[in-house]
Amino acid sequence: MTFAEKTTDHRKLRRWEGNIEADYYYTSGLAGERFFTELKKSGKILATHCPKCDLTYLPPRMYCEICLAELKDWKEVPATGRVEAFTVARLDEEGREIKQPQVWALIKFPGVHGGFVHQVAAPEEKVKRGLEVRPRLKPQPLRTGEITDIEAFEPTGQ
Amino acid sequence: MGQTPQKWPGVELSNDDLVNKKVTQTRYHPKAKYSWSAGEAISRFLNELKEGRLIGRECKHCKKILFPPRMFCEQCFKPTSKWVYIKDTGTIQTYSISYLDKDAKRITEPIYVGVVSIDGAAEKMGIMHYFGEVTKDTIHIGMKVKAKWKPPLERTGSILDIEYFRPLREGEQ
Repeated sequence: MTFAEKTTDHRKLRRWEGNIEADYYYTSGLAGERFFTELKKSGKILATHCPKCDLTYLPPRMYCEICLAELKDWKEVPATGRVEAFTVARLDEEGREIKQPQVWALIKFPGVHGGFVHQVAAPEEKVKRGLEVRPRLKPQPLRTGEITDIEAFEPTGQ
Repeated sequence: MGQTPQKWPGVELSNDDLVNKKVTQTRYHPKAKYSWSAGEAISRFLNELKEGRLIGRECKHCKKILFPPRMFCEQCFKPTSKWVYIKDTGTIQTYSISYLDKDAKRITEPIYVGVVSIDGAAEKMGIMHYFGEVTKDTIHIGMKVKAKWKPPLERTGSILDIEYFRPLREGEQ
């Protein structure tokens, strides 16, 4: 009978191992290009603004999602934001335990539509919804024009 | 209707822009590893190949030997009953003469490939493999063939432990 003689020794089972190559380069696009270039150069965080709908988009968009107008009005976001929601990661991407749990949060800025999902440089017990944070940037020479140019968001202490 | 635009609106990026990071970008290398199990029957089949043997599974209800082996009979769906060693000779069921290699490159010496049903196992059931020591004029459906095995030390438990099937010689079993 089949089930009685089922292999229980996994070493006798054969398998094919492989690695699906699905590498990609994802370009930032026109609005993203300006956003990241400015972040790298001056450390400023830019958003686009739709005067008609009075919406400020972060990350910046080329077109308004409501009225579809092209957005040409660029402005800096406020210096501090707040934790809108957060989670604590105890496992890394591959499911291995992380020694120091990481806090990841959705950060929003006053009057700005959208925000960032980024790491908060604070112990988990100190983080709560509404915590005021500001970006901590890498020193300019080390910045590469990527979101990791913002190392983390840290509490302002306010 | 209008002509096809020669230049599309937008910003064209060159390979140089991408590779030398002239535009901002995110790069990612997903770790998409997999391990695909051969399963109960095929694992045993592959392990037996390393020993230079072909093995099938018998379905006692349908009174036939399934090769390649299956743990379930594809005709009556009942679990198959037992392991049975079978011969390494068989019959060409169908074949193809290919002037393209595995990478679809044109070649002058063709590759012969097809389905061989093994003697003693269910008719019209078999495995795909290469044929060797044949020409486009001698190969034919119904040709009796025998496995040409790799030397024991070179076998890895792969279907390629059989290099190819060659014509059965006179007086051979």
